[in-house]
Amino acid sequence: MSTLLEHPEHPDGRAETDAHETGSRVRRWRRQTIRFMPIVVFVVLLLAISSQVPGMLTTRSLLTMADSAAPLVALSIGATLVILCGAIDLSTAALASLSSVLLALWIPSMGAWAAIVVILVAGAAGALQGVVYVVFKVPSFVVTLGGMALWSGLALVFSNAGSLPVSDLDALSWGSGKMGGLVPHSVVVTGLVVALVIVAMLLTPFGRSVRAIGYGESAARLAGLPVGAVKIAALTLSGMTSGLAGALLVAQTFSGSSTLAGGLLLPSLAAIVIGGTAITGGFGGLMRTVVGVLIIVLLRSGLGLIGLDPGVEPVLYGVLIIGAISLTIDRSRLAVLK
Amino acid sequence: MNAPDADVVLAADGLVKRYPGTVALDGMSVTVRRHEILGLVGENGAGKSTLLKSFVGLVRPDHGRLLVRGAPVALRGVQHANALGIAMVYQEQSLVPNLTVAENILLGSEGRSVRGGWYRWKPLFAAAQRHLDRLQIDVDAAARTDTLTFAQRQMVEIAKAMAIEERTQAEPVILLDEPTSVLEAQEVERLFEHVRHLRERASVVFVSHRLDEVLALSDRVHVLRGGRSVAEVNPQQADVAELHSLLVGHASPDSHYHLEQQDDAVPTQRRLVVSGLATTTRTAVSFSAAPGEVVALAGVEGSGREAVARGIFGDAARTVTLTLDGKTVALRNPRRASRHGIGFVPAERRTDGMIAPLSVAENMSLSHVREFCRGPFVDVRAERKAVRRWVDRLGIKTPGLSTPIGALSGGNQQKVTLARWLLSPDLRVLVLDHPTRGLDVGAKSEVYRLIRDLAAQGCTVILIADTLEEAIAMSHRVLVLKDGEIRAEIPAPADHKPAPVDIVRAMV
Repeated sequence: MSTLLEHPEHPDGRAETDAHETGSRVRRWRRQTIRFMPIVVFVVLLLAISSQVPGMLTTRSLLTMADSAAPLVALSIGATLVILCGAIDLSTAALASLSSVLLALWIPSMGAWAAIVVILVAGAAGALQGVVYVVFKVPSFVVTLGGMALWSGLALVFSNAGSLPVSDLDALSWGSGKMGGLVPHSVVVTGLVVALVIVAMLLTPFGRSVRAIGYGESAARLAGLPVGAVKIAALTLSGMTSGLAGALLVAQTFSGSSTLAGGLLLPSLAAIVIGGTAITGGFGGLMRTVVGVLIIVLLRSGLGLIGLDPGVEPVLYGVLIIGAISLTIDRSRLAVLK
Repeated sequence: MNAPDADVVLAADGLVKRYPGTVALDGMSVTVRRHEILGLVGENGAGKSTLLKSFVGLVRPDHGRLLVRGAPVALRGVQHANALGIAMVYQEQSLVPNLTVAENILLGSEGRSVRGGWYRWKPLFAAAQRHLDRLQIDVDAAARTDTLTFAQRQMVEIAKAMAIEERTQAEPVILLDEPTSVLEAQEVERLFEHVRHLRERASVVFVSHRLDEVLALSDRVHVLRGGRSVAEVNPQQADVAELHSLLVGHASPDSHYHLEQQDDAVPTQRRLVVSGLATTTRTAVSFSAAPGEVVALAGVEGSGREAVARGIFGDAARTVTLTLDGKTVALRNPRRASRHGIGFVPAERRTDGMIAPLSVAENMSLSHVREFCRGPFVDVRAERKAVRRWVDRLGIKTPGLSTPIGALSGGNQQKVTLARWLLSPDLRVLVLDHPTRGLDVGAKSEVYRLIRDLAAQGCTVILIADTLEEAIAMSHRVLVLKDGEIRAEIPAPADHKPAPVDIVRAMV
């Protein structure tokens, strides 16, 4: 006990109680890790897997991988926006499933337009959640957890708990075809959406506001930013990208069902956090999420390669989510950990 | 601290604590002796709360030593401080409302009242009652805490702090942080009796904004200013006025406040009319201000001045209605206020004023980014041009416009947050809540000049000053608030500034 106060580190590992004491060297190291690690991990995984599978690094197989990643990317884009605001959207996968059911039901009457309508309807569902969150001040976690149950319930009802096949394949060519017989439309569509949202984040007042609110909601509010409107907009966009994800899944499988996207929530959250977006808001970005999704997709195929039971996938996501969040969380802003 | 004084139970020796942009402790040295009541006084930002927090291990100083009964100690946290016999009674009460008094007092130090994880209620109540009785506190240990009055809960807090006696061999040191701020006069008197009683078995550190109380209760008073102890005062030989002048420091030369720039010929028209603005559920204030007028709101903490400042900016539980240049405006939220040309610089710069990871440019244009939009996109070149102009004009020292604002010094951060409102095409009222908090002398002077310039251009400024001296020097008029109401309105023209004592009289 007779040490001088020259060294603020503490042997019992409780140094986090006062954030300003954290060594800046440790912090810098961590920041750099968060910045470049996802890309390093992606490249290492890609090389490791391609050393086992000779044909892996060809354009064709990479595009196949991108095609299978497209719905997860779409789903995760909107979810990332919500997380950047400092909120969370747990309803994405359920809403995507509901969208797939609605699309399968509406294609016979609306044809190719059904996809647009479904995306708008999903956006309205997201907006509804946003209004409950902002206007009635219910935590986003609770609203979207409830939303998750609500949307999957509706999907179940509308689909009679079965799979709804789509026979009008032309109505799905926007998502199932291939450009020049090579590049899948799903990749093009998703790429366009990602580019659009990235531009919006970089160059519009909305993008600025999302970041500002995520980093410091109190300061953003006192600067006169429309905090509520921005959050509702983020949840609306998240609904729309969930709708797009559902539509892409229908285009890939030619059917809609209430469980089509059910397994995507965990991988989507895992992709966002291993991309390096902080679950506490502010820090992060959409390209990170894209890299995160690619890592997840590679891991999945890697697991199959080394002959692991696909049943361990959720175990992996769980570990990844906890590990990645523990790296990216900003403890200085947490007064109480709940 | 070279000659170890056997009587010194707790000492801070040259403590330094820096936060990004501010220095909270700057070589703080204070001693607490056995069986004494040590008074600590200081304005906001003088380092009182940081000092108390470092005494209980909530803040770890960057430099300097903490000595407990002569031995240097690096406190790891509240538990550690308690084990060494140091306990704090917090300003915001820390009792758990739905537990009994006994559970609260012995929380964490139940000793023999817990066996195998289960409470043994009889010994628990008995032990707690013993603590209460020893302090002559008339409270039932079995009562639920939320049935007590505020004053009673405060007594229980003190009993709880004294309960650490059981765990240490030595006599405890009890830190009282603003214990009287919400007490009535007789309750204060009773509290003082208890504290004097406490002195026979403990040392007490007493922090208060009310200087008369500090003088009445303490055996010795340390005056804190700018993160250090600037004077030690014997209460028998000092009065409130003397203490106050020590508190605010020697009057700065008038040039510091740019007094020559104060234009007393403010127009008679009314820019802002505040009528019936709620400060608490029962009290409200009404006043008006002219274009180019600087109105200072003076008052102790809890006087309602913060509620007035935030209310004018629409940051209140209910919609605030004001008259602005003759037009009635309803301010539902800060956004509405900023749309109407009202700006606000909050006191807590780090959490409310700026967004540390965002760049200088983004922080400055935060409120008016729409001004720089072309179509749906922000015209970054136009934005940077405007930001660059203010960076140059205000002499903001920053490596670049893309530098995160968190990397700047406190003064430069503050200038950026002020410039945020200067970018407004139509700034009519600027509300400043402690705009110079934690800034060094040079930066303060520059903020003062900015306020003068704004007033000269016809902007109305509502100022909650860091010190009374600042309020008087910078304003045309001082509104003194107490208990949620305006108690006095004191003109402060450049050639006839009122004395701080006159204002203190209305404040306390």
